[in-house]
Amino acid sequence: MTTSLVRSFPSRAGERLYAPEPARIVRTRKLTELERLFEIELNDGRELDHRPGQFVQVSVFGFGEAPISICSSPAKRGAFELCVRNMGGLTAAMHRLREGDVIGIRGPFGNGFPMQCMAKMDCLIVSGGIGMAPLRSVLTTVLADRDQFRRLILLYGSRTPGDILFADEIESWSQGGRNEVLLSVDRAAEGWDGHVGVVTTLFPKVKLDPKSTVVALCGPPVMYRFVLAELSALRVPDSQIFLSLERRMKCGMGKCGHCQIDDRCVCVDGPVFTAEEAKTLRESV
Amino acid sequence: MGQKAALETGNLSPWLERLRGKTPVMAPVKRGRVSFAFSWIGDAREVRLDYVRTVLPPKQALLPSREDLLTLRREPSLAAPVIADSPFVLFGIHPCDLAAINQLDWSMLKRHNVEDPFYLARRNAATIVALDCMPDKYCFCSSVGSCHTKGGADLLLTPIEAGYLVETLTAKGAALLRGAKTRAPKPEELKAAQAWPEEKVRRSTLRLGADVSELPRLFDSQHDSEIWEKTAQRCYGCGTCTNACPTCFCFDVREQPDLSLGAATRWRQYDSCQFLEFAIVAGGHNFRGRRPDRVRHRWFRKFVYLNREHGQPFCVGCGRCSQQCTAGISLVDVINSVVAEAKEGVA
Repeated sequence: MTTSLVRSFPSRAGERLYAPEPARIVRTRKLTELERLFEIELNDGRELDHRPGQFVQVSVFGFGEAPISICSSPAKRGAFELCVRNMGGLTAAMHRLREGDVIGIRGPFGNGFPMQCMAKMDCLIVSGGIGMAPLRSVLTTVLADRDQFRRLILLYGSRTPGDILFADEIESWSQGGRNEVLLSVDRAAEGWDGHVGVVTTLFPKVKLDPKSTVVALCGPPVMYRFVLAELSALRVPDSQIFLSLERRMKCGMGKCGHCQIDDRCVCVDGPVFTAEEAKTLRESV
Repeated sequence: MGQKAALETGNLSPWLERLRGKTPVMAPVKRGRVSFAFSWIGDAREVRLDYVRTVLPPKQALLPSREDLLTLRREPSLAAPVIADSPFVLFGIHPCDLAAINQLDWSMLKRHNVEDPFYLARRNAATIVALDCMPDKYCFCSSVGSCHTKGGADLLLTPIEAGYLVETLTAKGAALLRGAKTRAPKPEELKAAQAWPEEKVRRSTLRLGADVSELPRLFDSQHDSEIWEKTAQRCYGCGTCTNACPTCFCFDVREQPDLSLGAATRWRQYDSCQFLEFAIVAGGHNFRGRRPDRVRHRWFRKFVYLNREHGQPFCVGCGRCSQQCTAGISLVDVINSVVAEAKEGVA
């Protein structure tokens, strides 16, 4: 299977390239102790027009900008969603914002997951922790056009049951048993009767046809090593594995140098790479 | 274009003074006992064209160490770009620094098909007067193809006995030169200026051990070399090398509100891949958490990654990083060790 990862830039060229456009928080709700979900509309009513796996630069007045993955499907019109973990100055400030508050948005940036490569294939989504945010945009894109794809399998690992993102949606993701949704936690808590173990311990529970499986993968760097080894043992070709890499992009346009991995810029050439490509990049994970 | 005129030494200051009366002029001046610096001049007589290298490169005129990008307002939410497009003259920059500006033109204006609006505004506002020079022991421009750079400049000065032979390279340069009292050059002056480039190469004693086009392959074979560990043991991680580099363009973006909390400024400032925090992400993972990784990244980005992408290394042989390194690390020594080990087949 050959793949070409397209590049994209916002079409608004010129002097406003670094200027965020105002956007309004239309809804926000708590997902976990650390994460909130924000539903956002651009003030001029324009669609963000993103691809699953792309990111935006979010501005919070007085705090600056941070790159955040878009966690909704482009199939959702009108508003898009961001899942934000409270990690520092800007994200803490964002958590204090409420419906009606205004933030700034630049983007979308990056290539995104190649949904066309997943069509007519078995889609395996492997997620760890907040990696679920960009992968939810892939997952909900598959769900929105379900017949275009064959099997849909989600392997989702979290630290504890309380860290599971989108817990209230997970039931609906299985579409009454049509899709295989498997959760795991590193540490169980009272009331948890599901699987315990790192996400790779879910692999024996699904039977994959390596030739017809396309994988979308996102999680902490350490997860990639183990999941890639697992997929390699299952003989899933590296060219059919897509993973999203995290870097601290300051510009999103291949200028600032912060997201350089070997000779690639994650903000422009990524954040999604095939495992084939990622393995040639010595600093990828 | 290509016309040549002679500018006698005594006519330099009056010309500069006239230029300064019209637009700001950045030119080399003496700082302290031994140093030179590019500075916005207040008096044409301070300009010193007998320098070998300045502490900081003229990059600061096009990509300042700190540059405001946006002014922001909370209510109504508004972000206004700060575009600096007033004309100015960048006077007396050496061919290596000019080559560096050509590299920045590519990285800031062409790379990934994105035209950085702030760099573009300053670049278009600049009229550049280049000045040919002779190398010292830190210069290796003859090894990286930057010692005869003219492209990108509007005028080129070559020292001659009476003063300077001025070559007009663009219409902008021709307009600038109209303010100077020049005369037709004598045949021997033309001959002397013609001999300059050859003499410059002859005096370049510091050389790289391989052609720059071979460096990506040679460096790749030494990715895991001991050289990076050894260099890192000496490196303080202070970032002087990247600050002093005429081609480094990595930046951080910051924002601060004013005291009313109603308005804020967002700016960019030089960042350094040699700093511990450079490749850290929100979750705390640092993709270059070890100093050897950061040291290696600097050489690889300059001589491998951007060299492959652009077909030229991101180094113009100006010698600043080696001369100013607080630990005395020579960029060329490191390159030549890599080349030597690669050629010996040390893995």
